[in-house]
Order: sequence, then C-alpha cells, then structure tokens
Amino acid sequence: MKVIEVNNLTRDYGGGKGIFDISLTVSKGEVFGFLGPNGAGKTTTIRHLMGFIKNQQGKCSINGLDCWKDSAKIQSMLGYIPGEINFFDDMTGVEFLQFIAKYRGLTDLTRQKELLDRFELDPKSRIKKMSKGMKQKIGIITAFMHNPDILILDEPTSGLDPLMQNRFIELIAEEKEKGKTILLSSHIFEEVERTCDRIGIIKEGRMVTVDKVETLRERHMHTYTVTLESPQEAEAFAKDFDGTADGNKVTVASKQSLENIFINYYGGSDDD
Amino acid sequence: MINMTLYLREMKKSIKLLLIFAVIMTMYIYIIIGMYDPEMMATLDKFYDVMPELMAAVGMKSGATSLIGFMVSYLYGFILLVFPMVYSILRGNGLIAKYTDSGAMAVLVATPVKRKTIVFTQLCVLLSGIILLLLYVTGLELVTANMKFAGELVTSDLIKLNVALLFLHLFIAGICFLSSCIFSETKYSIAFGAGIPALMYVLQMLSNVGDKAEAAKYFSAFTLYDANGIAAGENSAFLYSVILLVGAIIMYILGIEIFNRKDLRL
Repeated sequence: MKVIEVNNLTRDYGGGKGIFDISLTVSKGEVFGFLGPNGAGKTTTIRHLMGFIKNQQGKCSINGLDCWKDSAKIQSMLGYIPGEINFFDDMTGVEFLQFIAKYRGLTDLTRQKELLDRFELDPKSRIKKMSKGMKQKIGIITAFMHNPDILILDEPTSGLDPLMQNRFIELIAEEKEKGKTILLSSHIFEEVERTCDRIGIIKEGRMVTVDKVETLRERHMHTYTVTLESPQEAEAFAKDFDGTADGNKVTVASKQSLENIFINYYGGSDDD
Repeated sequence: MINMTLYLREMKKSIKLLLIFAVIMTMYIYIIIGMYDPEMMATLDKFYDVMPELMAAVGMKSGATSLIGFMVSYLYGFILLVFPMVYSILRGNGLIAKYTDSGAMAVLVATPVKRKTIVFTQLCVLLSGIILLLLYVTGLELVTANMKFAGELVTSDLIKLNVALLFLHLFIAGICFLSSCIFSETKYSIAFGAGIPALMYVLQMLSNVGDKAEAAKYFSAFTLYDANGIAAGENSAFLYSVILLVGAIIMYILGIEIFNRKDLRL
C-alpha cells in the first residue's frame, strides 16, 4: 500500500531553482532515503508533503489525502523534523515540550519521557542557550512523541554526536519494525545506507534515480579476476579480499559504497 | 476556532508589555486629569493664541472648558493614540511574521491545528490586548475623574469616546495584522505594519496645523476618529467610527485568508 505518493511534482522558483517533475512513492512500513546535496530540492519536496507550500504542477498525497488541502488531517498521523530547527527561544526545553503536547492535544506523555531517557536529554535550560545537538534532540522528541504512523525527517541527525546518531538509527529500525512509513532526507551516506530500503537521489531539482539499496550497489559493482603465483597465495588473497579462489585465480568484487555511487551521479556531467 | 494553549502562551507575552504601558499611561492620565482647572484653561487658551500651530499639532485646541473637552484635547490627541498603536505594532509583528521569519512557525503548522485556527488565535491575542488596555484606561479615567472632580464627567460620554477610540485601534491593529500575514520577513512586516500607522499619525499632526497641510488628513485613518465630534454627539463622527470598524474587519478577513493560502518556506 502506497502511503506517500508524489507524482510529477514541479515547483519552479525561476533561474533553474526549484524542483522539476519529481515522482516518488513510499509504501507502508518502508524507509525511503532521500539523498542529495544542499540545495538540490529535498526540503522543497518535503515542504510540499507537509502542506507548507502549494503544488504548481503535479500531485502529492499522503494516505490518499491531498497534501495541501487536507494538511491538518494528515498532520494528526504525521511526525516531522524540520531541516532547520527553530523553536520558541523564550521557553525552556521543558516548557516547550509541555506546550507542544498540549497544543497538539496529546495527553499521554509516556512516550515523551521514554524518548528523553533514550537521548539522555535534560531539557531544563532555555532553548536559546541550547547547543545544536540539544535542539535537534528536542526536534526528534517532538516528531516521535505522539507515536505517528508516518515520519518525515529532514536531515534528522545533523548536530548529533556519533553515539546519538547510532541511537537514532536504532530508533528508526524499531519504528520500521512497527510498520511505520518513513521518509528520511540526508546527505550522510552511511545513515541512509544503514536505515533505508530504497533510495532516491535528487540532483538540481530532478530525480536522478530511485532504486533499492542493493540494486544500486549491484549496478555499480565491478568484478576483477586476479592471477596469483600459487593456489595457496590465491586462497590467502581470497580470504583477505573477500573473493572466490579457483586454482591460481581469484575473483574479487569491488563493493562500492553508496558514497561512490552518489559521487558517480553527481560528478558525472563534468567527467563523462 | 481558537487554540487555547497557544492563546494563553501568547497572552502571557502580551501581558508583560501591557503592564508597562498601563503603568506609564496611569501616571500620564492621573496627572493630566489632575491638571484640569477651569481657571487654568484660560491660561492654556492664551498659549494657544501665542502658538496655535504647535498646540494644534499635538491635538490641543482652544476652548476646552468642560472636563471631557479638556481630556479630548490633552489625552486623545497623543497618549491614547500612540500607546495602543505601539502595542499593535509590536505584537502584530511578533505574533505571526516573526515566527514565519525565524522558522518557528513550523512548530505551529506541523500539527493537526489548522492554519486558520493558528492565525485566528493570534488575531484574538492582538485584539484582547487592545481591548484590555482600553478597558483599563476607561476605568482609570472614570475613577480619577470621580475622585478629583466628582460629577463633572458623564460616564456615557466617556464610554462613547472610548468605544470610538477602540474602533480606531482595531483598525490600526488590522494594518499591523495584515502586514504580518502578508510578509514572511520581519523587516517587511515592520516596514509596513509600523510605517503605515506612524506615517498616518504624522499626517494627522500636519493636518492639525491647518492651512495648506490640511489636505494631509485625507490620507490618515486618524482623521476618522473625531473625538470632539463624538463628545458633541455628532452623527457624522459616529459614522466615521463605524467605517473604521468595517475597515478593520475587512483587514482581519484578508489577513486570515492570505495566511491560509500563502507559501510557508519553513
């Protein structure tokens, strides 16, 4: 079942800026990675999904509801982490979390507490004085505390230290287990590689490719056959380089990381 | 239609500002009313004869012999126009455009609360502040006048004067609100939301001086608040006030609709 559907979405800001003819779908229980450098159009696409901006051309819907017209309805089952976090600077973290729960009409705060513990956040200080990482944690808690079915996360780990990034990746895996639908934008390859089922790569406002992580890897895998002096050496070489030995010959595959694949797509236009 | 949690948070912010204004206005109103002295009026009229332009520019006219006439001249030309206006300018910008500019609006919009509810709640906060401020002023004027000059001030006259004043300030708040809804950047929201009311006030001062500058009054909403006419019970003065109220309501509706449809680049 398709939960998030974007069809031929176009938003032209003029001067080559904007997004052009973007299509993507995310099924229930799937984690979709939205990959691209800064300014490629990830956030613009997400703004459409969130109902912040109106579609010029094309359609985007969540659970069959129009993202612009029915945004309030969609929001009740959605959790969102903005790409750039800005809360009410005059509040402390505690006040803000209380405010947002009440504002949403959320009464059960067990999940909120659980998340505070998980990310080891003590939100007593003023938001204005908080570090980027602390604000990001508050953003994560705000997105997950009402237990939404759909999550739209715009560069969710920015500002987090590696330990907290790992905790976040664990959280995503758990949510996926529960059947949540997740769209995650990032420019960190490892994060996407570890969490996502499928990946869409966006470049200059256009979707370059959408595919499964494995398919992408396979497509860009090269194999080499190396001949060595003796079968013993071949055996050792195969062991060290994760290849298969056949007499004196060893076949090894280069497992390109997603990063290389990504650079292939991006560097392409100049080098080809 | 309104979100109570948001309303209370924003009112808490408004109250701080209102308290400061209330203190300043209390001192001002208390002192000015205390200065009322029919004999003194003759002296002030002499001032007016010597420098009529300067006195008129700040809304003071000769012949203010009754207490209410005195109050119209010395309170309703400056302090009761400017202070509520400054409140509207500060809060008008702070309630919407500031959040859109900083990105904090995302917190409010990315929830099941409708945009219309958000913007209507903020409007209610803005208007609540003005109503509270003018209610306080009315009470203060009544108490002070009765304390110092019992029986001199007719309550119903004062209420008429202040209801018309409320309509003027609802109109000014409308300008600030509309500007805050239209613009996504604080600098533009303030440029128009503060610039237009301030310019109108300056034009009003100019037109008071009279002569050639009198035509300036056609470009100022303040002209539609005819305090002397209201105090005198003139029908045209009441009509002008109703025009202000209607204009205010139109700007509220426009603001809500514009915010509801606009692109938020959050």
